[in-house]
Amino acid sequence: MKRLARPSRAAGPVVGSGAILGIWWLVAHNGGSGWVQALGDVVFGTLFIGIFGPSVVLTCAKVQVTRSPVDCIAGTPADIRIAASTRLRICARGPFEGEAFVGPVGPRRPPEDRVLLLPECRGIHDSVMLDIATASPFALQWWTRRVVLPLPSTLYVAPRSGLPESLPLRAHEDTGATNDWVQTDLGQPRGARPYRSGDSRRQVHWRATAHAGELMVRELERPSAEPITFTVVLPHDPHEAERVAERALGTIARLLERGATVLLATVESSGPVIAGVADRRTAGRRLARAVASADAAYP
Amino acid sequence: MRALEAIRRANRPGPPEHSIRLRAACLLTVVAAIAACASMGELSGTTAFGAIGLVALGMAFSYRTRHRPPGWVKIVVAGGAIAASAWFVHAVSSPASNITSVEDPLTVLLVSVLVVHSFHVPSRRDLMFSLAASAGLMAVAGAQAIELTFGFYVVAWAGLSIWGMIEMWASASGGGRLAAPRLGMALAAVIAAAAAVFLVLPAPTVAAKLNLLSRAGDGGSIGLAGALAGDGGSPSQLSRPGTPSGATRVGGYLGFASSLNTALRGKLGNTVVMLVRTQRPSYWVGETFNTWSGESWTATGSATHVLREQSPFILPPPDGSSPLGQADLQTFYVVNSTANLVFHAQSASQLWFPTSKVYYSEDGTIVSPIGLGEGAVYSVESQVTTPTPGQLRAARGEGQLAAAVEQSSLQLPHAYPRVEALAKSITAGDTTNYDRVESLIAWIGAHTHYSTDIPPLPPGADTVDEFLFGNRVGFCEQISTSLAVMLRSIGIPTREVVGYVPGPYNPITDLYEVRANDAHAWVQVWFPGFGWQNFDPTAVVPLANPAPGAAALDDIGHALARIPVLPVAITLLGLALAAALVHRRRSRPPTWAERIALSAERAGRRAGRPRRPHETFGEYAATLDAFTGSGSEAWRQLAVPVEASVYGGHEPSPDAQRQMVSRARRLRMGVHRSRDEDLSRDEDRDPSLHPVA
Repeated sequence: MKRLARPSRAAGPVVGSGAILGIWWLVAHNGGSGWVQALGDVVFGTLFIGIFGPSVVLTCAKVQVTRSPVDCIAGTPADIRIAASTRLRICARGPFEGEAFVGPVGPRRPPEDRVLLLPECRGIHDSVMLDIATASPFALQWWTRRVVLPLPSTLYVAPRSGLPESLPLRAHEDTGATNDWVQTDLGQPRGARPYRSGDSRRQVHWRATAHAGELMVRELERPSAEPITFTVVLPHDPHEAERVAERALGTIARLLERGATVLLATVESSGPVIAGVADRRTAGRRLARAVASADAAYP
Repeated sequence: MRALEAIRRANRPGPPEHSIRLRAACLLTVVAAIAACASMGELSGTTAFGAIGLVALGMAFSYRTRHRPPGWVKIVVAGGAIAASAWFVHAVSSPASNITSVEDPLTVLLVSVLVVHSFHVPSRRDLMFSLAASAGLMAVAGAQAIELTFGFYVVAWAGLSIWGMIEMWASASGGGRLAAPRLGMALAAVIAAAAAVFLVLPAPTVAAKLNLLSRAGDGGSIGLAGALAGDGGSPSQLSRPGTPSGATRVGGYLGFASSLNTALRGKLGNTVVMLVRTQRPSYWVGETFNTWSGESWTATGSATHVLREQSPFILPPPDGSSPLGQADLQTFYVVNSTANLVFHAQSASQLWFPTSKVYYSEDGTIVSPIGLGEGAVYSVESQVTTPTPGQLRAARGEGQLAAAVEQSSLQLPHAYPRVEALAKSITAGDTTNYDRVESLIAWIGAHTHYSTDIPPLPPGADTVDEFLFGNRVGFCEQISTSLAVMLRSIGIPTREVVGYVPGPYNPITDLYEVRANDAHAWVQVWFPGFGWQNFDPTAVVPLANPAPGAAALDDIGHALARIPVLPVAITLLGLALAAALVHRRRSRPPTWAERIALSAERAGRRAGRPRRPHETFGEYAATLDAFTGSGSEAWRQLAVPVEASVYGGHEPSPDAQRQMVSRARRLRMGVHRSRDEDLSRDEDRDPSLHPVA
């Protein structure tokens, strides 16, 4: 999306320049001095280009995001690289925050700059909305244009990791002590099988993997611990949904740390999804995709 | 409250400016403006140097204290600005001063403000104020500028200002610098915008008595009261009537004297005599003559008076002038010594002159009591009538010419029966005086030729008879005199005038440049109700006030037409090639591998075996080795690391690279086999070189 360039705080420079030129012209025109008029023409040319030149520069400017991460966390800066054909001030809009100068600072410098954008909340983004601005060449007037730049890869913004839900107490088989840890490695190893989605990484059998050339996991005689199905129901209020997602991520992270097999049930734009989450990043992506689902029916 | 808050916000100090280059650009811009004012005489050299030193000192102080400017500095700056303003108000409002003396105090005020302000420029915004104030200073200097050399200051100031603003952008954008092409485009855009406005805007006009100057130049005093001077190359030496051997008058024109000998023509130089700022171009009247002797003109019957006043002198309306004229202001800048006639357009009514008295005649001639040398300036307000031909045709008897004046305007030294018969035959079908004048001018234009290269008339010969009934070749005095006599012979009041034509218009300075060879003679014909009207039979093309844009385009067109096409085209082509080569060299330096490959290709080309498109460098190196015939594999040995670098990314050490490059160079220099020998050997080996039957 490209919008027309518009001046920012134009009243001061335009009115000031107009007043200067008006008075100048009056003096030149009534004073009869050709040099004053010629000088006024030069001043006019400079002011005119200084005020309106940035709009041309901005219209002709080429900006693109050359690199962006796939994952990031809300509230944590995402490191993206922006290439610009000219020096620009960029100001992130929408769910992102951040302001920086991009573009070449000299004729021989690479025109790619690192920019830290701060996503305010979770979500998935294929593009970023930026206000690009310039006052080139004379710094007399800033002009701004809003652009939406596609990202090289989809950016998953995971929610912040909130306080985890309290897990149910469980007694240890051997010691009998109660704790909120999760027992996952039940039974004796029986063999190895190819990895399936949802398998814990603790079950990965590295030797077999190296031997088979694909990821293999241990198979136990008895079925391993029942996976914990974690259902996330996001309310329609975006702020509340953000809080819920944060707590969900915190809880899932805690479960994964304890080695539990977690099935995460969320509602995405395509419908309800229940699938295992092997690590925090996967969980973050799932929660980034999740949408409000107060009345969702899970399969 | 909102306005108060806005003012408070506007006065909030900006972030400190750290760019030394920006400060240097602003300092130099201010220095250029002060130098421009000094060059125009608005500041003394001492004051200018002092101001420049103080501004530099202030800028350095501001840079040192930019993080935390001392509070007292702001108070001192404000106090200084207020004191300078108060002094300015006092200077321009004192009884001794007038509105024409505003510029010098204004210059001092602006310089004072710039000096005190330079001690408190911590932020970018303050530096921008310095740039703006320097623009004001340049405007004041430009108001005094009449020479094209002022353009050097304009170019310097504009260049430095733009540099300052580019540095401002660099500072505002965190180091953004304009690349050379973008800078060129920006400058071209500025020039284009300025040129567009310059072409569109009308010429500036002289204000209603706001800026009317008068200044005595290097003329010196004239010994005889009311006498004409300007002989012998000196503005104060009394003038003498022209003689065949006496082309000694300033500028070479013999007419600015008590009599005008039409048999003689001085040799006029090309030096600029005067620059004239005016609202509209006119014939600059110097002197009028009413009595014709058959050879010379003299002014008789009009008494000369002395006018003792201070500027502006209020001049009584000359005899036969019209009360319907429009005010027309002119300022004359004397560049080279000229006659002490006060030139003016048509009927002068007010005069700003640097003396306490002037002499004027009833016929409108004004004489300066001092010589008009270089640097003299005076201003005149004239009452100019610009009737249309229709109005002149319809001119009737309101405001009759005084009998004595009419009689002198019809005076002839003797009867001119042939002239009268000729004039009557030419104007036989005309019913108005205007048509008669036009018919006679048309006839003169059609039947006479202009030339200054004619011998002087024999003594006692009548100029008009010689001209009209001789070979009909003459110069302006003879042509205009012939018209005057023809008009007088048919009863139309006429007089002879000498002065200057407007001269070429300079669109930059907005001044007419009057040269010595613009000295001219023409006639004035009296019309009831409109007074004396100029008619120039020598140049029948009517004058028009040129627009500055049109004049500039015309000048540019003439200048372009004079440019020799071939040398310029060759030069431009050479420059373009040089630029392309420089750009190519600068775009990316060749790597060591490329340099070796280039050496090999150059050696091969020299040996008559260029590299083929399908050939790898290894293959080509092997071919070159075969060319040498020594059995060495020197090129092949170089090709191995080159290919390993290009295709395998294996980079040898820098020392090894250098050695290989120099070895390739030596090999290249060593390939000196004759082309024929190499080609024959190559053909033996390569069947593709054999022609296909």
